[in-house]
Amino acid sequence: MVFSTVLFLFRFLPITLGLYYLSPPKMKNVSLFLCSLVFYSWGEVRFFPIMVVLILINYICSLLMERYDNQPKIRRIFLILSIVGSLSMLVIFKYSNFIVDTINTLSGLALPHLQGVSVLPLGISFYTFQTMSYSVDVYRRDVKAEHNIIDFGAYVVMFPQLIAGPIVKYRDVSNQLHVYKNRYNLKQIEDGITLFIFGLAKKVLLADTISGLWHDIIGNYDSTGITSMGSVGLANASSGLVWLGLIAYAFQLYFDFSGYSMMGIGMGKMLGFDFPDNFNLPYIATSITDFWRRWHMTLSGWFREYVYIPLGGNRRGLKRQIFNMFVVWCLTGIWHGANWNFILWGLYYFVLLTIEKMFLLPYLKKSKVLCHVYTLFFVLIGWALFVGNEQGVGLQLLFTKMFNFSGGVSPIYFLRNYAVLLIISVICCTPIVEKIWNVIKKNTFLKISVLAILFILSIGYIVGSSNSPFLYFNF
Amino acid sequence: MKKQSNFFKNLKSAPLAICFFGFLFGFMILDMAWPKREKSELEHRPLEQVPAFSWQSLFRNEWTQKYDKYVKDQVAFRDQWINLRANAEYFQAKTENNEIVFGRDSSGTMMFTKFYSLGKNETTYRSNADAVVRFAERHPGKVSFMLTPSASVVYSDKLPIGIPLADENHYLNEIFSITEKSAQNFDLRAVFEQNKEDYIFYRTDHHWTTYGAYLAYEQFCKKNNLTPFDLSAHQAIEVPDFYGTSYSRARLWNTVPDTLTYYPLDNPMTVEVTGELKPPNDKTDGTMYNLKALDTRDKYSCFLWGNNGYSTIKGNGNGSILIIKDSYGNSFVPFLTENYAKIGVIDFRYWKDNIEDLAKEYDKILILHNFQTFYQDNGIRKLNLNVK
Repeated sequence: MVFSTVLFLFRFLPITLGLYYLSPPKMKNVSLFLCSLVFYSWGEVRFFPIMVVLILINYICSLLMERYDNQPKIRRIFLILSIVGSLSMLVIFKYSNFIVDTINTLSGLALPHLQGVSVLPLGISFYTFQTMSYSVDVYRRDVKAEHNIIDFGAYVVMFPQLIAGPIVKYRDVSNQLHVYKNRYNLKQIEDGITLFIFGLAKKVLLADTISGLWHDIIGNYDSTGITSMGSVGLANASSGLVWLGLIAYAFQLYFDFSGYSMMGIGMGKMLGFDFPDNFNLPYIATSITDFWRRWHMTLSGWFREYVYIPLGGNRRGLKRQIFNMFVVWCLTGIWHGANWNFILWGLYYFVLLTIEKMFLLPYLKKSKVLCHVYTLFFVLIGWALFVGNEQGVGLQLLFTKMFNFSGGVSPIYFLRNYAVLLIISVICCTPIVEKIWNVIKKNTFLKISVLAILFILSIGYIVGSSNSPFLYFNF
Repeated sequence: MKKQSNFFKNLKSAPLAICFFGFLFGFMILDMAWPKREKSELEHRPLEQVPAFSWQSLFRNEWTQKYDKYVKDQVAFRDQWINLRANAEYFQAKTENNEIVFGRDSSGTMMFTKFYSLGKNETTYRSNADAVVRFAERHPGKVSFMLTPSASVVYSDKLPIGIPLADENHYLNEIFSITEKSAQNFDLRAVFEQNKEDYIFYRTDHHWTTYGAYLAYEQFCKKNNLTPFDLSAHQAIEVPDFYGTSYSRARLWNTVPDTLTYYPLDNPMTVEVTGELKPPNDKTDGTMYNLKALDTRDKYSCFLWGNNGYSTIKGNGNGSILIIKDSYGNSFVPFLTENYAKIGVIDFRYWKDNIEDLAKEYDKILILHNFQTFYQDNGIRKLNLNVK
């Protein structure tokens, strides 16, 4: 189920919140667990068993790790078992056909694709990472193993963060999961509502509308191919238009993903949980290093904690550190999708970050404007790599178009048509919005009015739009 | 329990939570009780109904998707929500909405179909043109081919600056250069250009007006030595407040409605193969005009009772003619009653067989489409269906 639908907003959410608030304290996790299972299964019922198996593997392995607390070898076996359990789900569904294709290309074989894994289970990249973090934390004795399978299940499948993060570690919410009385307070719920509405507006009013510019260029596609006559075609576009389109795509990606995270965090608060932040105005970053401290923070945090630092981090000399970074960025790339362009995209950031680490960072700190230009330019190139594999794009064509400065369909009409939206988008990437909001929210009436307008407008856009893609579905 | 009641007492100090949850629950209940509609007249399409549940459809992932669509289609105040979006888009100074482009005109906004260069079926128009050639070769001297340009070609000066619409002139030239091999061509660009000050295209609909159709009909008569229907000798009935298909998509709040004109004629028409007309509930009254449609939003469907597979009309002239058309033909055909004794009307979207036998029954054949259907719709290939 997608958050920005009538079904979610006016069926699932009120019913779930109603059940959750009215449940007696001890039953709250049960109702959360069951509602979340419905949420998860709605998109693809056949994947229900996968979730059950995943929960069971991690639940049982962690209990056994606790049981054999003083037998390191056995503990290690159960850790490996649980990680293999989580990872194998991810690999089978996300990477098996990519691996088959790669083997076929390298060896000239013609191995067939695996059947039945053409559709990715909703949010698999997110929840497998969460269960892995849980088992590793139990192994490290950072958290106690969860004995109540309902409580554990409620954590894994908890709907606000299930499909697009933030990636919540078990230890972030374990305390709250065991608070039965007064789990939430009204202040927290109101903060949650505010975040939820802002997130929804970001997703529906900004991301879905600015995406029109990019799709005016590459076309709209469904499983049967291009769906309308409303696109100029990348090959016909001028370089100026391609860059404008890429900027629109960058806006879309950010508003889409951060809006979704915000909705997740907001609903978490409504349920009484404080999830970690996921985005912190990434496009005002002063370096690529800074950018990655602001973009999808819970993913970077996960890789740092469970890959980079266990590999030695920066404590084993520069060479080892660079190797560790290489591993992390390969994995970050491939996490975003089973394709070479994502690996390329990860490696691209590895190179940039290494250069910054080696010598560039001090220079960047001296500049005030240039560092922003530099960062945004390379982030945009990054997004070009990222989107290069999409239908209607083609990496080679995209990069040729970006840098051969050729003529073609000019950007004038699009600048004119999307002018207001582009200006609003720029403003929403800066801290200005929050500053204004901090003034507005002091007046209760004004605060509620602004939120009401945003919410009502969002519903209008949800009902009125013919399609609303969600980019991070594939991740 | 004490804690709970405190919680509810505290609610008073949380106006945002009250408003939000009040709205969320209130709207849910209202929405569930809201009357369900069969179709949306404004959007001119059937709305999704409650999907019948079966385990099979659930496991095939169809039921949940349909249910999603059902809830969205039947949402309370659906039309108002869509208008809200359209207005919000308008106040962002956008020059288009929902694939409709807004052109400036002194008499109100002129709506054009957004038709860019990257096509769904980029070679369809060529194979369609070839199909016309093959068909005309089999029926030498009988076949005329008329392709209506889009309003955006005739009124290109009213389009927003720099809009990269497809170069329709280029395509029209290419199509006509193919079809002239064996068919009598009617390229209407020149005559429309000369008469562009007149009301030849609806502002809120993608069709031509009855007068636009008449101009095309006049051309047809000229080339075929026929005396055209005399407009001044007939009474014209004007139907105001026509909000067409482009309006239905774009929902511009300040739209100036169109006026639809028709000439009452009592020539009898029989629908032989139905299409949009769905018997037994829908029945014609034996004339060419469905006057009841004039009271609805979709006024253009009054002509020939909408698009149907095959209809025949008794005319006042001599000889017979078969029209193979899209919806543009519907307002064109009534004029032909002046010149022919029998008029057959075929719409390939609702006609499944080949038309060789039928074509032999008629003295003359006119293929009449507008460019955008001809470009995308490969129905024209049925001209040569099962023909060796």
